[in-house]
Amino acid sequence: MEVTIFIHAADDAFRILEKAKARAVGLLDTATNLTSETRWMREKKIQAILKGAQETKSGFQNFVATFVMLMVFWALLSGKFDTFHLSLGVICSLIVAYLSHDLLFANVRVGDGRLIAQRFLRYIPWLMREIVTANFHVAYLALSPKMPIDPQIITFRTKLESDISWVTLANSITLTPGTITIDIEDREFMIHALDRKVADDLDTGEMEDRVAHIFMEADHIYIQDVLDVSRIFAELKRGM
Amino acid sequence: MIVSSDDIIIKTIARIFVPFIQLYALYVIMHGHYSPGGGFQGGVILGASMALLLITHGYDEVKRRLPEGVVMLLGSVGVLIYAGIGLTCLLLGGNYLDYSQLSVILHVDPAHARSLGILGVELGVGFTVMAVMYSIFFDISTGGILPEDQKQEEKLESEG
Repeated sequence: MEVTIFIHAADDAFRILEKAKARAVGLLDTATNLTSETRWMREKKIQAILKGAQETKSGFQNFVATFVMLMVFWALLSGKFDTFHLSLGVICSLIVAYLSHDLLFANVRVGDGRLIAQRFLRYIPWLMREIVTANFHVAYLALSPKMPIDPQIITFRTKLESDISWVTLANSITLTPGTITIDIEDREFMIHALDRKVADDLDTGEMEDRVAHIFMEADHIYIQDVLDVSRIFAELKRGM
Repeated sequence: MIVSSDDIIIKTIARIFVPFIQLYALYVIMHGHYSPGGGFQGGVILGASMALLLITHGYDEVKRRLPEGVVMLLGSVGVLIYAGIGLTCLLLGGNYLDYSQLSVILHVDPAHARSLGILGVELGVGFTVMAVMYSIFFDISTGGILPEDQKQEEKLESEG
């Protein structure tokens, strides 16, 4: 009697364990599927970006894009929207676009322009915060009686690939108090730093990563980009 | 002789800003009869934008955009526009550059004709100033010797 009960109990326990295991396997499968799915999508996107890197936009597209940007600039400057002034604006924009349509968008990859703009806008507040923090540090250096400065020149090799990202990084470094970009030569950044701390802050490479993220370059794909963790967690929660 | 600059930062910033500088110059010229500015100021800005391009991107790049012949033509056309408008006013029975006389040709009231006449003159002044500014800068930077001439001379020397 006790033996049968025991066997039944063991059976039940075993079944429950089986069920739990199957459920866990199922959950893991969904998670893996999701991951591989997102990874596949990302890979496709990366391929597209890399493919785009080899071919630049055609001349006509550049012409139209330059014309539109110049027209917006004209409207901002002029502020007169009667036919006469607008037609003057169209003519002037056409002339300038014809003269320099290959300047504004030289070396631009066929990427998602809107995404780049969005990411750039999101980068600005971070840069502002960085500037404010660095300001306090430099003020401390200047105001403390011992003046513990330790000027030094550091060099690092960048992983960024296009001139526009180099310039963005160089100007971000110069804008941050305490560091100044002296020169860029063959991807080698030469930077003057006011003391050890600002140099170390720069060496962490966070700024470079963020700039790479804006322009979708190098290993710009953050881990949260590849594995959208929140989606997997949501799926796991639903399964529980 | 100016060759392309090595500095990536200066080159890139110039590349992005030149179209906007040029459009701003044209804006200054076109709104000369409404707001401060005019033909001379706008022409100088336009010439400066070309000078910036010449410094940063070198002679070949600029020559491809705006050949020497076109610059000279623009300078002459500017003077022609200015003198032409002035003389037209004279022929219509007014004083030299008396724009209100243009109302007969343009079929608008004299006040409007004045505005349009000034715009035309500004345009002419702008063209000429741009061309001359650019040409002076160009001549100073190359020492008055065009690279093509230099090449031809070298060729002749090696032959003879």
